[in-house]
Amino acid sequence: MTTHARAFPAPSGTPVTGQEHWTKKGDVRLFLWNKHVGSPDGRLGRILFVHGSSMGSQPTFDLKVPGRDDSSAMDVFARLGYDTWCVDMEGYGRSDKHRPINADIATGADDLEAATDYIFSIRGNAPLLVYGISSGALRAALFAQRHPERVKRLALDAFVWTGEGSPTLEQRRKKLPEYRSKHRRPIDREFVRSIFTRDHPGTADDVVIEAFADAILALDDSVPTGTYVDMCANLPVVDPEKILVPTIIMRGQYDGIAGFDDLVRFFTKLPNPDKQFAVMPGIAHASFHQKNYAIVYHILHGFFSQPDPIYRGH
Amino acid sequence: MTASAPAVSLAPVTGEEHWTHKGEVRLALWRKYAGSPAGKPPLLFVHGSSMASRPAFDLELEGRPASSVMNVFARLGYDTWCVDMEGYGRSDKHRPINADIATGADDLEAASAYVLAETGADRLLLYGGSSGALRAALFTERHPERVERLALLALVWTGEGSPTLEQRRKKLPEYLARTRRPIDRAFLRTIFERDHPGTADDRVIEAFADAVLAYDDSVPTGTYVDMCTNLPLVDPARIPVPTLVLRGQWDGIASFEDVVAFFARLPNPDKHLAVVPGVAHASLHERNGAIVHHLLHAFFDRPTPVHRG
Repeated sequence: MTTHARAFPAPSGTPVTGQEHWTKKGDVRLFLWNKHVGSPDGRLGRILFVHGSSMGSQPTFDLKVPGRDDSSAMDVFARLGYDTWCVDMEGYGRSDKHRPINADIATGADDLEAATDYIFSIRGNAPLLVYGISSGALRAALFAQRHPERVKRLALDAFVWTGEGSPTLEQRRKKLPEYRSKHRRPIDREFVRSIFTRDHPGTADDVVIEAFADAILALDDSVPTGTYVDMCANLPVVDPEKILVPTIIMRGQYDGIAGFDDLVRFFTKLPNPDKQFAVMPGIAHASFHQKNYAIVYHILHGFFSQPDPIYRGH
Repeated sequence: MTASAPAVSLAPVTGEEHWTHKGEVRLALWRKYAGSPAGKPPLLFVHGSSMASRPAFDLELEGRPASSVMNVFARLGYDTWCVDMEGYGRSDKHRPINADIATGADDLEAASAYVLAETGADRLLLYGGSSGALRAALFTERHPERVERLALLALVWTGEGSPTLEQRRKKLPEYLARTRRPIDRAFLRTIFERDHPGTADDRVIEAFADAVLAYDDSVPTGTYVDMCTNLPLVDPARIPVPTLVLRGQWDGIASFEDVVAFFARLPNPDKHLAVVPGVAHASLHERNGAIVHHLLHAFFDRPTPVHRG
């Protein structure tokens, strides 16, 4: 006997129900996507996945790759017993793009307010398990800051706080004047590939990168500039001391979006004693689509399914 | 991993006594598993300064099956082990030494060699609590090739800003003057009360004290001396294995900054720091022990990376 290799035991094959939903934020129509198995009760809870700067929600959280059953995080978590949701932020995917705005982080937090209003209206008011990645982590954190009563547990993946020591943002700032000059920036296949190659080439399979690019470009050939402007010029946009809910920071080993010290300082200031900081080996920025995605699922499931404290000292 | 907190099923668990030697010193090991141990990952628990291993890890308490972390993990599919360090419990106490942290790391060298030989595994999962975390970390520094994943609970690194160690230093001359210090029920209660009274049930504290005192009315002074005067004893930069650091919300053994500084220096990219809410120092016996079980299982069971760059 040698080392015990471990895998994420995601149940596969169980049929997953997908349903589209729509809600409104003022005159802006927002698209939501729900996946669950059997009844939508969400035995383990209800997850809201929040996407990043350069793609709609389904390419990130419900990606289909031939021969790779568990590329869809929503399918995996639905089969584990969660009721799973994602939403296209204003300006992305199938949500409205008509307003002349750059859809910054605060706009995304507004979208999450509308999305959670809608989810609560049809599923009840139980607080949600919220996962955000990259600028989606900033949107989710700002939303949690504004509405802690709506968030049961908060997972921040590929997060950045002040931006200090971020190689990715240092590069991105070179194009800041361009981002500031328009509301949308064009995206193409080369750009999508650069998300996977800029930090550490080799962390994702080509077949996944190409499927991801196909899915993104089927919905968008341009995306709003607001989150890029915020991340280049306006950080910090969230205050850890005002994030009152249980929180995990998930940091890819090679992720260039934030300096490690930046995240440690953020983590230290989080006031809730139920908090975690996980470093994910062999992973760069877009964790769900990397070769080591099973580790990401495992960490997230572990955090979301953690037992509540029996004793809190009060 | 399981879909929620590790289930506390009541499947029968087998317990076995084992013995090994460190030179002339006889060391007592205790093993528990459900069904057959064949093919199961070995998990070795390392105890702290003031108790032997079984009171810490196999406390059998009527109506509270989770009091034995060995039973919980045996039922989850692990082959669980613990060992009495030299000077504790059923292990030899005849040498005139104070059994410091380095002595404990020696004990783990002998114990791990025995466990690996007995199970046929190449490496084991290792858990240490309090000074057991220091023993486990130092052993891992010396023998990273034997440790698959390392979990450190209630760890202190430099000792800077530690309220517990500041208090403990007041009795340092006494600890330095002898190789053993007496323990009694009142002392054992202070482990649960010194940081934040209320984190553990009285019934559990009393059962724990009964179990500890059944083995020992005194324990070695070496780990206390080390923690008061010789920190840091381990170098995080030389711990190359995947590591979990667990920190109780109210644990006074280390400042939060000390623990974070240790975590930041760990070189393996597979690392995890968790603060455990509502928990002080002796977390496995506290009311929120199920959270600790969940975090440990989630860490020990984490998928192996398919890509390492």
